[in-house]
Amino acid sequence: MANTSFCGSPDHGVTRRSFLSVPAIAGVTAFAANMRIMDALKNPCLAGELKRQQKSVILLWLGGGASQFETWDPKPGRLTGGPFRSIATDIPSVQISELMPKMAQRLKTTAIIRSLNTRNADHGGGTRLMETGRAMEAAIDYPDLGALIARELGRADSQVPDYVSMYSETEGRHKGGAGFLGARYAPTFLTESMIPPNIRRQESLADVDHQERADLQKLLAKRFADKRYNASVASHGMAYERVRGIMASEKLFDINQEPQIARDFYGPTQFQEQCLIARRLVEAGVPFVKVARAWWDSHGQNFETHLELCADLDQGMSALLDDLKQRGLLDSTLVITLAEFGRTPNINASLGRDHFASAWSCTLSGCGVKGGAVYGKTDADGHKVEDGEMKSGDLFATIFAALGIDYKKEYHVGARPIPIVDFGCKPVTEILA
Amino acid sequence: MNLARRLSFLSFLLLGGNLIAAELVAPDLTIEQAIDHYIQTRLTERQSQPTPTADDCTLVRRTSIDLQGRIPTVAETKRFVDSTDSDKRVKLVDALLASPDFSYQFRNQLDTLLMSGQNGVSGEWREYLLKSVRQNRPWNQMFRDMLIGNDDDPDVKAATTFVRVRARELDELTNDTSSIFFGVNVSCAKCHDHPLVEDWKQDHYFGMASFFQRTYVTKKNGIAEKFSGEVKFKTTKGEDKVAKLMFLTGTTIEEPVVEVSAEEKKKQDEEVKKQTQDDKAGPPPTPPFSPRAKLVDVALQSGNDQFFARAIVNRVWAMYIGRGLVHPLDQMHSGNPASHPELLEWLSRDLIQHQFDLRRLVRGIVLSQTYARSSEWNGSTEPPAADLFAVALVRPLSPRQYSMSLRIASSSPEAYKPATEEWSKKRDELERNSEGFANQFELPGENFQVGVDEALLFSNSPQFADDYLRDSGDRLIGVIKAQADRGTQISTAYWSALSRAPSADEVAACEQFMAKRTEPVAGLRQMVWALLTSPELRFNH
Amino acid sequence: MTTADPTKFKVAKTARVKGIAMCVTNLPGTQRLFFGSSDFKVYELDMAAEKPQPVEFTGDGHQSYVTGAALAGNQLITGSYDGRLIWWDIEKREPIRSVAAHGKWIRNVVASPDGKVIASVADDMLCKLWDASSGNPLQTLVEHKPMTPHHFPSMLFAVAFSVDSQLLATGDKVGHIAVWDVASGKKVSELEAPVMYTWDPKQRRHSIGGIRSLAFSADGKQVAAGGIGTIGNIDHLDGPSRVEIFDWAAKTRVHEISDTKFKGLVEQITFPKAGNWFVCAGGDNGGFASFYDSQTGKVVHQDKVPMHVHKFVLNDTQDTLYAAGHDQIAVVEFKAVPAAPAEAPAAAAS
Repeated sequence: MANTSFCGSPDHGVTRRSFLSVPAIAGVTAFAANMRIMDALKNPCLAGELKRQQKSVILLWLGGGASQFETWDPKPGRLTGGPFRSIATDIPSVQISELMPKMAQRLKTTAIIRSLNTRNADHGGGTRLMETGRAMEAAIDYPDLGALIARELGRADSQVPDYVSMYSETEGRHKGGAGFLGARYAPTFLTESMIPPNIRRQESLADVDHQERADLQKLLAKRFADKRYNASVASHGMAYERVRGIMASEKLFDINQEPQIARDFYGPTQFQEQCLIARRLVEAGVPFVKVARAWWDSHGQNFETHLELCADLDQGMSALLDDLKQRGLLDSTLVITLAEFGRTPNINASLGRDHFASAWSCTLSGCGVKGGAVYGKTDADGHKVEDGEMKSGDLFATIFAALGIDYKKEYHVGARPIPIVDFGCKPVTEILA
Repeated sequence: MNLARRLSFLSFLLLGGNLIAAELVAPDLTIEQAIDHYIQTRLTERQSQPTPTADDCTLVRRTSIDLQGRIPTVAETKRFVDSTDSDKRVKLVDALLASPDFSYQFRNQLDTLLMSGQNGVSGEWREYLLKSVRQNRPWNQMFRDMLIGNDDDPDVKAATTFVRVRARELDELTNDTSSIFFGVNVSCAKCHDHPLVEDWKQDHYFGMASFFQRTYVTKKNGIAEKFSGEVKFKTTKGEDKVAKLMFLTGTTIEEPVVEVSAEEKKKQDEEVKKQTQDDKAGPPPTPPFSPRAKLVDVALQSGNDQFFARAIVNRVWAMYIGRGLVHPLDQMHSGNPASHPELLEWLSRDLIQHQFDLRRLVRGIVLSQTYARSSEWNGSTEPPAADLFAVALVRPLSPRQYSMSLRIASSSPEAYKPATEEWSKKRDELERNSEGFANQFELPGENFQVGVDEALLFSNSPQFADDYLRDSGDRLIGVIKAQADRGTQISTAYWSALSRAPSADEVAACEQFMAKRTEPVAGLRQMVWALLTSPELRFNH
Repeated sequence: MTTADPTKFKVAKTARVKGIAMCVTNLPGTQRLFFGSSDFKVYELDMAAEKPQPVEFTGDGHQSYVTGAALAGNQLITGSYDGRLIWWDIEKREPIRSVAAHGKWIRNVVASPDGKVIASVADDMLCKLWDASSGNPLQTLVEHKPMTPHHFPSMLFAVAFSVDSQLLATGDKVGHIAVWDVASGKKVSELEAPVMYTWDPKQRRHSIGGIRSLAFSADGKQVAAGGIGTIGNIDHLDGPSRVEIFDWAAKTRVHEISDTKFKGLVEQITFPKAGNWFVCAGGDNGGFASFYDSQTGKVVHQDKVPMHVHKFVLNDTQDTLYAAGHDQIAVVEFKAVPAAPAEAPAAAAS
């Protein structure tokens, strides 16, 4: 159950504020206590400013924990390195695993971080940590990256979803969530079908009727809603107002709308198709798309598993980057690869690698990123970080900085400020353009 | 720690609030009188005007949702509205408390309090809660049931599910118990002495954890305790420390020292190991000293039981009023005082004196003027601060409440007849059918927001249309389509869905809408849709 | 007459090695072993010594895991993930020649029993035949599909010669087996063992398994394939060890062994020259060796071994196997206890 309490310790991240009650002041946020504030966002000047900010994020979530040894931080020749070798890339002196030959030619738009030390090697805890950018607290329900980006880069009157999450059904599947930001920023969640559920009007209802009954509902609700200073009530109205717009975005999810040549460019696997849909969504202005590729948790047969999964990722990711670039979208789209943790240097008896959060990697490509940068260093066998250690919060600060979002800003829940990034965390400027 | 503050806190606890007992109003007042007294006192201090009492339609609707878990039927609403009995509100509340509905509703509220966030909990747990509510089992007894249990009593056996589902995670068990039963979230104190809340140090956190440290789950899926084991932790100075059993008041418990030979210890450890591995093992061994049982004793001891009483008072208050006297509900400490400390004390004292009778407390709250205020704010300025309770708070329906309410709202007014013989069965059916919503929708927490998924579901899902907009004889639409004139149709729909009569403007808007529809029944369907998906139905106001 | 008795199974000796011993072969008539390791090196290990110590082969060796080792005369031929085959002089412990044999990772290397031909299989999905003494390429056998039906790159794990050196079998990730005539390089049969390939369509969307081992029966009529049965959670090797035996000419399956007592991959199968049993070894997080009756497919004897076995080799008297696996080499003996000698010089049964 969500709770908005905290202890105020810098270790636990939230600044202290008085517990005395202060009248809630509605800012230009989704916590607007009444509809009049929301109307302000329809002001053309404000809307114009928001449009200029039209940036997007595509998160390629490697659920289960991809091995950094078999991707971005190979250790060829070491006992911990496994059998795969490293290959040269389009950045001199940078090598990645031979399992990613296509991405090896696309590091000019990509920055690799090799020095994540996030300490939590448990699927549940690690996922929460890397999804939200901070350690879980019993008391506060922090929003995940998608909700944060939807909030920062989305538009109140958006005609497309703000946050779309695609995953393949998997063990330990995680819905993520908007936490205290509220259901307004919850993901449109695609599981079995690539089309969001209930997006299509029933055939028995004519379009004009569908529209006009929604108008009637809104009219009748006004009397009630206007007299209740309540964010939940306001959210109800907003949710219904977005229905028509979301319905109109159905085609975005339909891969058949793409010519075969585009589909072939990405490839036939589910992940590759979802990368293509992600491009479509971003092109239409969806601020955050998560494509989850599961399940990398190779406790047994790590090399066989990565052989398959890296091939899938290499093809999908490189096609996505190329496609975004061709369409002039790469400068305004940040593509992230991330997981809940990495994998152990030690190879177990099933030729697998187990969970490992002490020294692992992720990448950022595109918007605001200094292509070709490699940040951080692990030791020769990949047991620990030698240089440039980063926490989850540092990664989030860097992501926000790359997108031009002020990483020092604070949200307000009632009277209480909640910083957008965990305390003490800063962006890594070496990988920012 | 600041000595003066510590003294004041300690005295606040140890003297059971007797320091200010003289300042509390008499214990023989009714609960509702005490509530209104203290609330009004503060309103007067702040020169704040509360809203007037809600009208009868609103009041019967609100009370029904709170005590029956559903909106009232048209008959129930009209019976209350039309009654001229000066005592009708008391009669209503007493009737609802005695109804089969109340047991389900209160059970669901307790279930949410105790088990939200837990998956796959057995039906037997909910059965235990239902039985307990039906017999108005005292809360302290339920606490004992849940923490210690009694495998021999079939009615109580499932109560220890509370411990069992958390037994594998010591932190979770410690935190949840402290938070739910004592209103104290000590999780911050795990890493360091709570910097602001001077009440909570690492010793407190690990002291509480110590009560649970020996608890384990047997292979047969029961709970048992080991013979030995202590919690060790590292202080912020880096020292290794062994935690002492310590309750939140700071009271420590010394475990009686029992000399055990190495051989005997080995035997004990093996027995415990067997319990975790063998699903055909007999009942688990019971060590002579049970830290968990000790926690219950210490917590319910006179002098300590304020924690326990205050926490449940605060939570029950929040269930009906929408916000705790202490807010948030799990931050009850000296740095976060209640908005109405005397009221909290009075209600806690009253609860203890009446053997932790929760139903009595509920009755009192729901009969107060404070509860009955209107939620409509017509002022030109911002409404007063929520913790003055000057305006009734709007609360989203829980998924179950929403499901049952939609069912009733969209059915023929004759379909459901509470307080008749068949009602028990029908009500049980309604409860079971609400399971779907319970699985599909999230429980509203703080900052509840309706997501666009819900709006899409209600706008486009064929199932919604099928469930609620059918025009068969047992449905609202089936009934109104046979009615003679528009006015009657609209009125019936309003009474059914929103428990009130429509205003002239509303009638006009609906008539206008339906006049444009080519097919009359379809027009009715869409009008009813607009009412069923209204925020006025979605929320308890 | 055989000196082997599988029921007399015992782990006689172990030697710790650095890394993972991936492949092993044995010089007949001795206890000298040659094994390849995950540390990229090739070693000799004389198990006759009281405390056997691996002796490194020197010179320009492999640049990745050494996954296959075969002896032909006094030459050792090893294959690696680096795609190369290296011929070594076993006495000098130096390379003789190094061949860029495959474009992708070599999974196994075997020698024909007559010592003339070397076969290598790799993830370029090719089986290549080489002249054992000269190293000249003889044939490239093209058959196995490079992509799995689920659009992922496939793997070619297993290869085996028949006793008369005339036939060869290859087996891949998706459970497809081809039987070949060595001299002509033509495919003479094909078999399917799809159960060995587990594809998880829902939760993990990748596959695991494959045919990891192949062997011909002594009479050459049957081919045994080893791998793992259907796995529930493909993050682990949590499935029954599995062997399927086929009459390769008739293309029918004769035996199906799904062993839940010992779970994991069957990494190697060997039929002895004589005897009505065959032996498999492999493992998951642990290791096992199982002896089955070749007529009935029933267990003769099975037991744990100290580590997951990647490859093993039978000695020349076929009563001992040398197993290479996760950080150790183990000597497993299954010697028949000799009959007590008769006291009186009466007529003795032969």
